[in-house]
Amino acid sequence: MRHAELIASFTSQAEAMGARVIPVAGPGEVASKLVEILRPLGLKVALVDSPLVQTAGVEKALGQAGFSIEKDGACFARQADTGIVEFDYGIAETGTLAMDATDLKTRLAAMLPLNCVALLPVERVRANLTEVIDAYLGRGSWPGYFTLVTGPSRTADIERSLTIGVHGPERLLIILIGDNGGGHHGR
Amino acid sequence: MAGKEFKQRIRRALDNASLRGALERFADAYIVSREQVYAGRDFESLRQRIAAIKADAASRYEELAEQFTRAVEARGGKVFRAKDAAAAREYIYQVAREHGVTDIVKSKSFASEEIHLNAYLQERGITPHETDLAEWILQLMPGERPSHMVMPAIHLPKEEVARVFSRYLNEPVEPDIKNMVRIARRELRKKFLTAGMGISGANIAVAETGTIVICTNEGNARLATTVPPVHVAIVGYEKLVPGIKDIVPILEALPRSGTAQPITSYVTMITGPVPAWKGEGEGIKELHVVLLDNGRTRMAADPVFKEALQCIRCASCTNVCPVFQLVSGQVYGYIYSGGIGSILTAFFNSLEDAADPQSLCIGCRRCAEVCPAQINIPELVLKLRERVVRKQGLSRGYRLALHGVVARPKLMHTLLRAAARLQGPVTHGRPLIRHLPLFFSSLTEGRSLPAIAGRPLRDRAKDLERPLSKPRLRAAFYSGCVIDFAYPEIGEAVYKVLGREGVQVVFPQEQACCGAPATYAGDRETAVKLAKQNIAALEGARAEVVVTACPTCAVALKKDFPELLAGDPAWEGRAQALAAKVKDFTELVHELTGGRQGPFGPPGGNGEKKQGAGEGLETGRQGSLDRQCTTSGRRAEPPGELTQAGNQAVKVTYHDSCHFKRHLGLDQVARRVLQGQTGLELVEMKESDRCCGFGGSYSIKYPEISRPILERKLKNIVASGAEVVAVDCPGCVLQLRGGLDQLGSAMQVKHTAEILADCEDE
Repeated sequence: MRHAELIASFTSQAEAMGARVIPVAGPGEVASKLVEILRPLGLKVALVDSPLVQTAGVEKALGQAGFSIEKDGACFARQADTGIVEFDYGIAETGTLAMDATDLKTRLAAMLPLNCVALLPVERVRANLTEVIDAYLGRGSWPGYFTLVTGPSRTADIERSLTIGVHGPERLLIILIGDNGGGHHGR
Repeated sequence: MAGKEFKQRIRRALDNASLRGALERFADAYIVSREQVYAGRDFESLRQRIAAIKADAASRYEELAEQFTRAVEARGGKVFRAKDAAAAREYIYQVAREHGVTDIVKSKSFASEEIHLNAYLQERGITPHETDLAEWILQLMPGERPSHMVMPAIHLPKEEVARVFSRYLNEPVEPDIKNMVRIARRELRKKFLTAGMGISGANIAVAETGTIVICTNEGNARLATTVPPVHVAIVGYEKLVPGIKDIVPILEALPRSGTAQPITSYVTMITGPVPAWKGEGEGIKELHVVLLDNGRTRMAADPVFKEALQCIRCASCTNVCPVFQLVSGQVYGYIYSGGIGSILTAFFNSLEDAADPQSLCIGCRRCAEVCPAQINIPELVLKLRERVVRKQGLSRGYRLALHGVVARPKLMHTLLRAAARLQGPVTHGRPLIRHLPLFFSSLTEGRSLPAIAGRPLRDRAKDLERPLSKPRLRAAFYSGCVIDFAYPEIGEAVYKVLGREGVQVVFPQEQACCGAPATYAGDRETAVKLAKQNIAALEGARAEVVVTACPTCAVALKKDFPELLAGDPAWEGRAQALAAKVKDFTELVHELTGGRQGPFGPPGGNGEKKQGAGEGLETGRQGSLDRQCTTSGRRAEPPGELTQAGNQAVKVTYHDSCHFKRHLGLDQVARRVLQGQTGLELVEMKESDRCCGFGGSYSIKYPEISRPILERKLKNIVASGAEVVAVDCPGCVLQLRGGLDQLGSAMQVKHTAEILADCEDE
């Protein structure tokens, strides 16, 4: 499959599973896009640092826009409206996000707040789970806490009525970052 | 016979309208969604891969457990091998005690239910909080139990949940689902953030890496395994797979088969202890994996039941089970419900505990068709039944019927003839039997008699066996008891149609009951006896083909006999030779006619096969005007001939008999044969392959379950708008005729042989 098709498939599958995919042209546009989409969702943000987050200047932009940013602490992400986390891979087949979530903050930011923002560079979209597993196996030791996320948290436990947002995020926003303006972070 | 308490549970479940409604709505939607989510995928090859992975694992649990343990320990985790429930409970309790834990958050785990962990901990002052929404709701309702493996609270209406929440919060809660989910989030979040320990189950455990894989939609397993400083995972041995890549096919099938999702919202893979917040600051979480045996290794050592360990707990078998859909998981009585549940119960609990649940299986084989791990559940249920019978013995009625009568064909035939004379006026009650022994057991229960033919087929056979001058084939007709004694006219139709095709049919008089009633009752001894008698009788006919018109009999002859006599030097070969000769009537007709279109038999009707398929199509069309299905009125009794107004095609709908479709695989063959008949129009009914609820003795044993299954079938039949229902099983004929009769419907139910016999030259 050509990469463009993978991206198209990833996007349509992720959206079918209830995520919102927000494409941006390159890392340079991430910060302004975040300011725009997060404002209606509340001003408290838990942010997990990563090279991409730094290049994109996320912290500074959000701070300037009046967001309060949490990066640490015993109560990290517990009170935040939104958690922002960079993911490792996207899986086109099912619209799934994959990450090595061994780092505690990464896990907490992605699971505790009502909104989860996933940052994902387009070049990290893979065709299927097997390819992603291969990618991790290629890195050496298998991650301690490996996570696949597909859409927001959901339940159908009461009368089989699909309800979004139980214990995990109610909103999953995927910022799909194009490679315009450089800033490759292929892993 | 099922225990009294068990029967009461069935009654209660059947009387619970909201439960039945919920299960029905769910199961109906599930069938459609499952099909969609598998669209474009090769389900057969997927299930073969899963079955291969899991079967291999089941043959070397010890090795995999050791490898798994080494891998987890290398990362700093602990593995405890629990030989039984008590050991597992005590270990977990001790871990909790060491850490001074008072509250535990639990993510859904059947293994923990299996070992009754909650009660054990509670008695010792530790409170486990279920965090899966459904499990939590049930936990707040003392005395309630899960009704489904994947959707445990599917039986509760939202109003009931609102009452539960109101009680819990001590304030009124509206039955608004969205709002109730928010309440659950709010309340359980407090537990996640304060609990001293998290307990999870596992969907898969990878020996190679020491990884535990957990699938959830709600995200509760992620929280339970991330926030508290201690994590205990309870993992049955059957969750072990060798390599990390083995999870791929399982993850492909589990959510698709379970809830018809391409993947669950979250798949969490934990390998060894990971960072966690521990009081003062970030530290390393404590990870304990309890590898639970509790009957699993005994099961793995059992050559027959080992297969059930391939189960990936998707519950699709129960989702498509017509019985489960009516009675729900609450009736089965133990943790694992449905057919597979009864098998697991036999090993995780005891054979005694499985005795009642296994008896609920009607044997329609729908579950085997959808099982993503390729487990032959209905077959295993039969094996289980055999063991139950071996241990507990047959009930008195069954013993009398099977050993006293069925195993002695001469006596049985004499009794049937007597019954035919004595039966008196036939009531409008549904006929109740399939194979005659059941008729005898029904006698002992004071049930009404089915109509026994005045002259059985075996007495009519001589008149039917006019020698053909140049027969194409010599066939022995194995009629089975129902055709012989209840529906000899089906047998006559078989003679007529095959005769037209130039087949010389003979009726070996020494043939006896095929033994299916004994097999399905778990009475192997009688089944073996009958197999031998039938083999000898059919060999005597010196026929090239043994033709049957009852799929249950066909399965007995083709599959059961060789299996029953395997290892018996005197009989094994003979059983196999017979099996190779057995052919279903409709299948044989299809072969003889080359599946060509058009009325039966070439012009002139001398039984010679002339055309190939393509040519025949043309000829058939041309001949359609003068040779059609008609109302010949030659037979007196209704349901008689096909009715037809003018030259309009008679609308026929086809009901798939379970054995015919799922054992013999002839469903499409039957349709082709019917479509080939000029003057017939085949219209499909909804759910044509759904069981009619007969199941032989089942309708006697569980009439309260059989009846609603039949009712649904009848609704679909009537809605098809057909005038005739075609079936290839005399048991289904019996059930459907009885049901339509009660509805006062004019629709006719006919065996394919009867339909073909009616389609003839004017």
